[in-house]
This record gives sequence, C-alpha cells and structure tokens, in this order.
Amino acid sequence: MVDLALKILLHDKLRFTITVAGVAFAVALVLSQVGLFFGLLSNATPTIRNASADLWVTSRNTPNVDFAHEFPETYVNRVRSIPGVSKADNLIVTFMNISLPNGAEEGGVFYALDDFSAWNLPWRVKEGNIQDLRRGEFIFLDESAKRRLGDFAMGDFREVQHNRLRIAGQSQDAKSFTTTPVSFIDFRRAQEMNPDLLKGNTSYILVKLAPGADASAVKAEINRRLPFNDVYTSNEWASKSEAYWIKNTGIGLNAFLAVFLGVLVGVVVVAQTLYTSTMEHIKEFGTVKAIGGSNADIYRILARQATIAAVLGFILGLGIAFAQKPAIEAMALKLIMPASTIAIVAIGTLLLCLASAMVSFRKVANVDPGLVFRS
Amino acid sequence: MTVLKGIDLTKAFHDGNVETQVLRGVSLELQAGEVVSLEGPSGSGKTTLLQILGCILSPSAGTLHIHQHKVDSNSKQLAAVRRRNIGFVFQQFNLFPSLSALENVQYAINLKGVKGPAAKNEAAALLDSVGLSDRARYLPRDLSGGQKQRVAIARALACKPSLLLADEPTANLDSTVGSQILELFRDLAKQENRALLIVTHDPKVRSIADRVLQIHDGRLQS
Repeated sequence: MVDLALKILLHDKLRFTITVAGVAFAVALVLSQVGLFFGLLSNATPTIRNASADLWVTSRNTPNVDFAHEFPETYVNRVRSIPGVSKADNLIVTFMNISLPNGAEEGGVFYALDDFSAWNLPWRVKEGNIQDLRRGEFIFLDESAKRRLGDFAMGDFREVQHNRLRIAGQSQDAKSFTTTPVSFIDFRRAQEMNPDLLKGNTSYILVKLAPGADASAVKAEINRRLPFNDVYTSNEWASKSEAYWIKNTGIGLNAFLAVFLGVLVGVVVVAQTLYTSTMEHIKEFGTVKAIGGSNADIYRILARQATIAAVLGFILGLGIAFAQKPAIEAMALKLIMPASTIAIVAIGTLLLCLASAMVSFRKVANVDPGLVFRS
Repeated sequence: MTVLKGIDLTKAFHDGNVETQVLRGVSLELQAGEVVSLEGPSGSGKTTLLQILGCILSPSAGTLHIHQHKVDSNSKQLAAVRRRNIGFVFQQFNLFPSLSALENVQYAINLKGVKGPAAKNEAAALLDSVGLSDRARYLPRDLSGGQKQRVAIARALACKPSLLLADEPTANLDSTVGSQILELFRDLAKQENRALLIVTHDPKVRSIADRVLQIHDGRLQS
C-alpha cells in the first residue's frame, strides 16, 4: 500500500518538523507539569503513607499532617482500651527552630515518638540506629535537610530550641510539602524542649488494628470516646492532607492551567499545520477523488498524518520530559511520571491530534474533483 | 458495443439569481474501441461535458448510460461508476508530486482494493506498457512533460477502464512528444477495445480520431 499520507507529510520536511515539535512541546509541558505536581504532592504525605498506622486520631479539623494541633496525651489510653485496637501511641508533629553554625536559624518539622521502630518511622535510615533517640539528647535528621541546614554528619551537634542535640543518624526521603527539614526526636525530649505547647500533649494518636478488626467500627468507637477529635484511615488522612495543599497553594490550578495550555498549544499547532497542508494539497485530494477515491480514503490520509504527528511528537516529548529529570532533581524537586499518567497522555495526544485533523475533514469533504480540470 | 450514451444532457450553473446555461441538450454515443475528438472554442462547454461524461458532475437534465446502466446523480454512485469504468488523463498531469512514477500508478491500484506485491507488479506492468519502466523510481519533478503524461496514462489504466477521457492531453507537450502520446492513446484504445474521448484544441488529434465532434455554445454540431 502506497503511504500517500506519510509521503505528503515528508514532502515538506520543515512543516512536518514544526508539527512534530509542536506536539512534543505540548507533551513535554503536560508531562513535566503533571510530574512536578505529583512530585510536590508526594512530599505532602510520605510520613502518612510510610507509617504503619491503620488509623490516625487528630485534633478536630486539623488541615494536614504538618499543621498539627495539640490535645491531651492521656487520650491514648481511651483508644488503647477499645476492642480491635492492637496498638496505639502518641505522635507529636511540631515546628521548632534549628540554629545553624553561622548563627542563622531555620525552621524544622519534628516527629516525636516513644518507639519509632514500632511505627516504621523513619522508613529509610541511611546511618545510625533510630533506637538511640531514646537515650536522650539526640536527633535524627533527614539527608535532604542539608539543603537548608548545610552539611552535617553523625556525631555533630545542632542546637534546637536552645537545646544542644547530637546527630545520631540520618534518614532518607522524609520530606515535607513546604521543604521544611524533617527531623526525628524522642517523644519526652520534644515535650521538654517546648513545654508551653507540648507538656502533657500530643499531636496525633497512631492506631494499629488487631487482625480481623473492623476499621469502621473502631473508628466509630474512637469518635464516640473522643468526640472532640477526628479519626481517619491512613488513605483518608493522606488524601485530606494532599487536598489541603492542592486547594490552598494553587498548585492544582497551576497544574490544570499548564495542562490546558499544553493541550491548547498542541491542538492549535497540529490543526493549523494539517489544515494548511490540506489546503496546499487540495488539488491532490481532488485527484484522489477523480481517480476513484472516496471521502473516506481522504479522511484516512488526514487521520494517518495526525497519528504520525501524535506518535512521533509523543515519543520526542516523553524524551524531553525524562531528560529534564536530573536538572529538576538537582533543585530538590521530584518529577513523578507514573506509567498510568504516561498512558493517559499518550492516548490524549492521539485523540487530540485526530480531533485537530477533523478541522480539515469538512474542507476535503467538499473538494470538487472537477478541480483537477482547472489549470 | 456502446460504452457510453448521453441523452439530451443539459447543465446550468447558478450564481445568485443569474443562471448560466453551459450545455443545451447534448446527445452522444461512444462505442468500444472508438477514438473521438471533441473540439470547440473556450467556454463552449467541452470540459463541463467531459466532467458529466466522467461522472464528476451530474447533469441538470438528461440521462447518462454507461454500459446500458443509467447513472444516478447520487455522488456515491457517481464515484463508484467512476472508479469501475473511467480513466482520466489531465492537461496538468495531476500526478502526486511526493510519489514516484511507480507509486503514482500503484496508489490508483490500491484505491480499487488491490494491495501489496500484486499492486506493485500491476503498476510496474502498466508503466512498462507506456514505455516507462526505466523511470519507475523517478519523482514527477524529475520527469519530462511527455514522461509525466505517460505516467498519468498508466495511472488512468489502473482501473482497467472501458472509457478513457482525456482533457487537452497534449497541451503542455511539444509537437513531437504530443504526437507520440497520441499514438500511445490510439494503441491503448484499439488494442484494449476502449472508448476514448479527447477534449482538445490540438488539430493533430484528428489524425488518430475516428470521429470529430464540434461543440459551440453548449450544443454539439456534427
């Protein structure tokens, strides 16, 4: 079968290059913006998703995991006595200032537990033993904190809220949405360091269910016993935390606008170039009809041209998006492009290119084969 | 055997309230193997008649029969009749500039549903029949006017038409090449028993024509 569609496309290589480049630009824009969006969101909830808690008890209307409010730590005993609860512990999440060697101060978000190992926090330890935190004036810093706190090593000291703490180890991948460094300290140590706020208080209660326990029944019972708190499953709490950042920072709108712009650019470029190409080859389409071709034959030519532009543009755009990854990661950002997102963008690219080709369909449907008799 | 029969064909074009009568009751027949030259001054209705006989335009009135079958004015049926029975050769050649000589012919064969090596072999045979097998891979821009017209003729033969319609086929060719193309036309009509109608201003066409038709102001004059 003679591939007239491809031959016409390649006949004007500059126009073909512009078409493919337009699609590639749109695909790269959409993938990188969506990838950045997912990357930012992944920083909003890593502690929720990695902690081995089935339920999180929070103070009423806590908007996200970083912005915790305190409530009495003794509430944990009410939770522990509920049938179906295997384990329940207090967790403090609080902001405190860290003094830097140069005299400046940086804010930090601190996770404080009695037994970190029991809750899989931190989930990746680069060096040190998390149990050492129980020994007193020790701190675990996340490796990513070096960007804000400067270089540090195990055994170094850092001053937190005017308390000198020794770095007992480093975790990895423990990040916050605001890029505030994440650290881990002992529960009692945290209360002592900020007694006005934390003495006798906690921020959350982590709950592990007994095997076979009914999560909704346990939730209902916790709600009954702690009527001024909220209870979420891990997924619910992660979704609520993500929704807060999406709604309140504009990243959701930003991602939507970027995707919209990418789609708009792609559709306009493909529609415009295919339409111009169709108009320039209108006599050839008239010839196709005159020698026995139908409108369907011409639609197939246009659809194939759109498909070729979509496939090549998508591959190039995907390559550009992946090529950006190292540069974006060097800025301590993440570009997350799940296979499902790539598949959706691929299908979307194809459908939008085909839709763009339809702009030309009406034109060729009305092509008069008698056109070929005119000089 | 009658290949084509037009009875009382008329065609009027409308531009707002202005009606222009281009054909006024034209009747004609073409027999298999017959070469007919259609001559007339510019604006006399030659090309309009050619388009109606070629099932590109439908007449405002009158009937057209191809192989005894009345041709409906439905555009899908016109296209089907065109695809099965009629080959066109144009003054401007109208080859696809991005396709080689072989591919131009092969594409026309593909349109009638033949694909793969069979189509390629058939296209090569047709190019050979017009003496262009050595230019099969050339793009139209690399062919002379005469060679382009030979490719166009080979393409017109792709549907094995019983009727060949040519619009000023020698207008863009020099005298020698024009004569060669006319010889080729005559051979194709006689050897394959095809009806051939040539619309022309070129007096040389008379040398191969069995019959000459004159058209003036939309009326045939024998």
